[in-house]
Formats: sequence, C-alpha cells, structure tokens
Amino acid sequence: MQNESGFTEGGFLTTRVDAIVNWARSNAVWPMPMGLACCAIEMMAFAGPKYDASRFGSEVFRFSPRQADLMIVAGWVSYKMAHAIRRVWDQMPDPKWCIAMGACASTGGMHRCYGVVQGCDNFLPVDVYVSGCPPRPEALIHAVMDIQEKIRNEHSIRKDRREPLIIEGT
Amino acid sequence: MDTVKEVPRKRQRASQTMEFSFWPRHNKAILERLETKHVYLEHEHDALDTEMILNMGPQHPATHGVLRCLLRLDGEIIDTCVLDIGYLHRGLEKFAEYKTFYEFMPYTDRMDYLAPYSNNVAFCLAVEKLLGIEAPPRAQYIRTILAELARISAHLLWLGTMVMDAGAVSVFLWAFRFREDIYSIFDHITGVRFTVSHCRIGGVANDITPEGRKGIEQLLDELPEAIREWEKMLNRNRIWIDRNKDIGILTAEEAIALGMTGPNLRASGVPYDIRRFEPYLVYEDVDFEIPIREEGDCLARYFVRVEEMKQSLRIIRQCLDRMPEGPIRLDNAKYAFPSKDEVYYSMEGMIHDFLLTDVGPAAPRGAQSYHAIEAPKGELGFYFISDGTGHPWRMRIKSPSFANLQGLEYMMEGAMVPDTVVLIGSVDPVMGEADK
Amino acid sequence: MSTTREQPEGHEALKFEFTPLDPPRPEQATKNPMAKKTTWLPEVVDVLKERFGEKVQEVEVYAGEHTVIVDRHEIVEVCRYLKESLGFNYLADLGGIDRFTEEDRFEVFYNLVSIEGGKRLRVKVRVDENDPVVPSVVDIYPAANWNERECWDMFGIRFKGHPDLRRMYMPEDFEYHPLRKEFPPLGIPGSLPLPPQKPDGEQEYDPFARAHGKIPEE
Repeated sequence: MQNESGFTEGGFLTTRVDAIVNWARSNAVWPMPMGLACCAIEMMAFAGPKYDASRFGSEVFRFSPRQADLMIVAGWVSYKMAHAIRRVWDQMPDPKWCIAMGACASTGGMHRCYGVVQGCDNFLPVDVYVSGCPPRPEALIHAVMDIQEKIRNEHSIRKDRREPLIIEGT
Repeated sequence: MDTVKEVPRKRQRASQTMEFSFWPRHNKAILERLETKHVYLEHEHDALDTEMILNMGPQHPATHGVLRCLLRLDGEIIDTCVLDIGYLHRGLEKFAEYKTFYEFMPYTDRMDYLAPYSNNVAFCLAVEKLLGIEAPPRAQYIRTILAELARISAHLLWLGTMVMDAGAVSVFLWAFRFREDIYSIFDHITGVRFTVSHCRIGGVANDITPEGRKGIEQLLDELPEAIREWEKMLNRNRIWIDRNKDIGILTAEEAIALGMTGPNLRASGVPYDIRRFEPYLVYEDVDFEIPIREEGDCLARYFVRVEEMKQSLRIIRQCLDRMPEGPIRLDNAKYAFPSKDEVYYSMEGMIHDFLLTDVGPAAPRGAQSYHAIEAPKGELGFYFISDGTGHPWRMRIKSPSFANLQGLEYMMEGAMVPDTVVLIGSVDPVMGEADK
Repeated sequence: MSTTREQPEGHEALKFEFTPLDPPRPEQATKNPMAKKTTWLPEVVDVLKERFGEKVQEVEVYAGEHTVIVDRHEIVEVCRYLKESLGFNYLADLGGIDRFTEEDRFEVFYNLVSIEGGKRLRVKVRVDENDPVVPSVVDIYPAANWNERECWDMFGIRFKGHPDLRRMYMPEDFEYHPLRKEFPPLGIPGSLPLPPQKPDGEQEYDPFARAHGKIPEE
C-alpha cells in the first residue's frame, strides 16, 4: 500500500549514498584547533556565545587529532612548530580538511622573516584560506561553510577520491 | 624445572632510546638537560619503573598557546621540568631594525594578543620618551581608559581559560560574553575588534565616539554584577580552593630572585607595580588600590587578578568623569601625524605627512631609553637605541611572560601532574609575547 | 670641470638619502617630559665610581636615565655590590646589543631595579667579537638564566659559568645567530628544514616549496 508522498509502507527513502554520507559529514565537522596565536583568540570567539560554532555541527572542538576531521591552523607557523603540526596532521584519519586561518597561516602574513614559514601550505594541503588579521569570526563562519560546501560536492565512496584534474590541450 | 633468571634490566638513558625524526640535536639537548638537571648522584635501578618522561607537547589544549613542557615524573610527582619555548618566535627585534616606528605599531598588537591595546600604549610611550615628546592630556586619558579596558579583557580571558582548564567550562562562556562587549566597544572606537593599532606617536588616532562611550558606561554597569556572581561561585568553592590552595607557593624572595613580574609578584607580597613605581599616563591623578596578597599560591594569584579587574573598573569610571577637552594628538608635525585637514589643505602638513610616512620620526644618534608599563601580564618594557635615522638601531622588548615562564619552570618541580594545568593558568603566560 | 655628482643608475637613483640626526644636545640628557624619578641616580653612579675606580669606563645620560659601562671582567663583582650593598635586588632585563663597530662589537646590558629604594639602573659591558665571553651573573640573579640563554641564541655571546647554555628560541640545529647585523631578515634558505611533503618523506629544505610547485600530499 502506497501513500501519496511516494513512500511505501514502512518508510523507504531513495537517494545516492554519496548524498547521505556527505550530508552527514558536512553537518558534523569537528574542528581541531591548531590555535597558535592571535587568530586562536578569534577562533575562541567563534566558539563563544555570540558567534556560535555549534550551530554548524562543530559542537566540540576536539583537541585530539584522532577524533577530529577539520584542522584550523590559526596563527603564524614557525619552522620549529611546523614539524609538530605536520605530525598532528598525519595522525588525523581520513577524510580530513584544513583551513588556513588568517594572513599568517595562509602566506606568512606580516611576518616576512626567518622564523616564520611563509604559508602553511608549504607543508600542509590546505582547502580553504581565510584572509584577515585576525579574520572576524564571521569570516571563519564563511570558511566553515565553504568547507561544508566542499564536503557536499565530494565523491565520498569512490576509492581514490581526489583524482587530479587533467586539462587537455593548451 | 627451569628457573627464571633474574636479569636486572639496565635502565638506559632516555636520550639514547628516544629517536626523533625532526630537530634531532634540539630534542637530544633537551633530554640531556632533563636527565642531568639537579642530579648529583647516579640513579639506582628503578624496580617499579615509575620514572617516566612526559612530553606535554607544543600542541596541547591546556598550555595556553604553544608551550612545550617536558616533565620527568616519579609516579605522579614531577621530578624535574624543562620548558621549551620558541615555537612562536618570529624575530620582532630583528624586524624593528628595518621598520620605522610607525610601521612597527601593528607588530606590537600581536605580541600580547590578549590585550593588544596595552602593547600599543607601551610602545608609543617608549618612543615618545626616546623622542622627548609628550601626548596631550585628553589623549592620555583616552589611552588610560582603553588600556584598562584591555586589562579587563585580558583578565576575563585568563579567568575563562584557567577555570575551564580546571574543569568548569561555563565560566569560559560567561567571560567571553563580556569580552564580546569589550570587542564591540573597541570596534566602535577604533574600527577593529581586537588587534587595534589605535595609539599614535604623540597621541591617539581618533577620539572616543559617543557609541563607544555609551558602551563603556554600559559595561561599567553590568560587569561588577557579573564579577560578584562569579566570585560567589568560586571564592568559597571547595573544589576550586582545593585545586588552588598551596599549589606553586613562591615566597617574596623567590619571586624577586626569579624575576617574576605582574600579578604573580604581587600575590607573593611584593608591592611592585609600575603604575606606582614609575607612574605614566594619568595614574598619578586617579586613585586606585594595588591588590597584594601574602600567600603566593595559585589561589592568591586568582584573588589578585579578580581584584585588579574591579580596580580597573574604578579607574575607568574616574577617567571618564575627569576627561578634559582638547586635542588628541600632539601639534608638533615633526613627530606626530598632522590632522587630515592639515594634510589635505596645507603644504607643510602634506610635506610632514609624507616625511613621517616615508622616514618616520627620528631621535638623536646614540640616544637610548627604556620605558615600562604595567601590562596585564606584568612589566612590559621597550628599550630603544637610536642611530639618528627613522629606524631604531636596536629595540629590545622586555616581555613579562618570558620572565614568568622562568618562574613557572621552578614552580612545577615538586608539583603533581594535574597541577601543571592550574599552574600554567595562574601564571598566565602568553606565548606570542614570551617568544617575541 | 664637472660639478655634477655621479648619479647612481636605475632604482638607486630614486633612493632617498637621509642624513642621520646629530648626537643628543646636552639639555636632552635631563629635560624630557617623560623622564622618571627612579632613573636619575647620580649618587649611585658616584658610589660606584668611588668603589670601582677605573673599572667604571663610562657613564651615559639621556632622558633622565643613567647608564654605567663597566669592564666585563668585573661585572660579577659590580652586580654583587649593587645587590648586597645598594639594594638592587631585582633583575628586570638582560640582553645584547650589536653595535657593529670594529672594536667591542657587542654590548650586554643589565636592567637592575631596587624595589624598596625606587631606583632603576642600567649597567652595560662591552664585549669584543673575537672573544665574546662574559662572566655569568646567574649566581647573583637567578633571573638571568633564560635571558643569558637568549643572548647566546641571538648574538653568540657565551656566558662563562652558566649552568645550561642552550639556545632559547631557535632549535639547536640552527647554526647562526639571528640578531647579528649581518644575518638577513628573511633568513638563510636551507638553514631550517620544513616537514616532509608526504607522511613518510624526506624533510624539505626549500622554504618556498609551494611556490616552486611541490604540492604537499595528505
């Protein structure tokens, strides 16, 4: 017996597996804050009561890499610290994404000097860059929403997810 | 039957067994130091294997930034401790030699990033002392009000994170609610929530706006009530007192010998506050008290900081009442930026504006001076040596967190592992400042 | 005879030559609106000169502050005298200065405070580049420990008698002393390695790896 909405008795839903998996993943992104400097304070404000992070599913900021899937690098990365960050990134299980928050994490920012890595994308595969010094929490919200968008458009269940895009010609 | 032969296990030194794939010489040197610190005898064989080296690594939720604590434990008690800093080092002192005084202002914001306005004030006062100028009175009152607001903001974050690390997470959210109010005040007055570069050499960038003033008055009404509520929750709280009482005791002599500064020194009974020792801005004209405690443990540091928040509110109220009318920047265009009207409508204004932007104000060759302020963390001082050009020849930042971390290393030895979190919270280091 | 100066070529032609200002005028030593009472210490300087005579090499005064330059071999004695007899019991700061002169290239300054007496004095020692060794004052002021380590890290000045002279900010693997004037602000490429581009790869010695096309893998 079928009712009007198309559901057969008992309630079945037809969709692609990708859609369900991506919907679930994007709405429960647990960030791991790599809070290094001033951007970390804005990230704390992002988690605070006024710009609530938990309404995006980021209820808990998991400080253990094994339990998180989004790493937010907030603050300038020094050469000494870079190895520790890469180690933490390697410990995060797939699928994982990375936000480079602020000018210093994206490109080295105002710190063009011997101690600062000029952009954490020199050793981490970054997905979203946020500009600002420090970026307002609204900018960080926009970045998290971009990550959610990126997750929703992924092919989660294919074996090799990230195929290189080969443009022929030119 | 075979008897199991007891083979005594030769305990290898940790520096021989642990392999690090990055910074091998650095990690080896730290482990050597950890093994040999305070050791005068050879260690005997440890039958129960209670000795362990714990690395509270640079990335840790409780270390207030990137501080690496290497602890050698004997069970739960810390035997020796080595703090490794430098994970946020950028070489600000090197930078300063290549930038004019005006260009360096934004870097000072990012030093103690919990109270950026304090650092701006410290830098501007130090440069003004070097150049031999003084800001007009209204600018000094504005700087005092906003610096005390920054002190409240830094202490709110200290309270939030220290209590959160000890387990009560709600205080973090309540403190952040008021921090957001302070951010809105800064936003109205300076245009930036947080890393403001509002001070200028010779004054401030712009005046207090009416919305900013209303925001400050609203904060002055709401915050004392909230602090009273938090005190009611924490001051006689059995858990809080047990966690903090008699932890990390520093006597006055130890605190002075270790070079501690700020509320840590005052909680040990030493009456040293730069606002009274070398008064700057308008602190001689307002009356406020310096909270001093005798015990020197974490609880005393907590009480000192909460009391400082209340005294800051008192200072702000008095300054708002007494603020005189007048210019907000020095009229001397050789040192301070002329107003935009002068720049656009007069030739001399434009010339001086160009010169100040290009080359910057300059002090005589060979001039040197040191000026310190009482930042929320302690004595923040800038020591300048000038070579006659617009760039300082040497700028030395005396950062309070650097000195406090030395004391922390001393305090951690003999404490237990769960106390490290409370100790780090009560000493309140900011790594951006300690690592420069 | 040509009266025109040789103009430099290219972008050098537009560079603005700024003549450095003159040394301070005598009244700038004392007349300064921000000068504090705690730093004006002529009686302390007189006592030091009386006690140590020739070892006190120079006294500089600017902005109401006294700076005493002493012989570096006597710094421990001077500090002990200041602490025990004159009451300067708090070491606020210690650091190095690179003057970039032929002789006595470096200086180490000590910022001493007498909390009870309300006094702040700056003591400096001059250090030569060929023999950059200064006796350590850690026994007198334990607060000097980390500051001397930082001085070693940034300038390469060794402190004799320091219990633990390691680098402070830079890792031990780093071979240079950054705050010396000849060290470039952007650093020396290859002196600090970056982590590997793959989880199990080799360390990367190119500081601009991404710009040179080495994309890190997950």
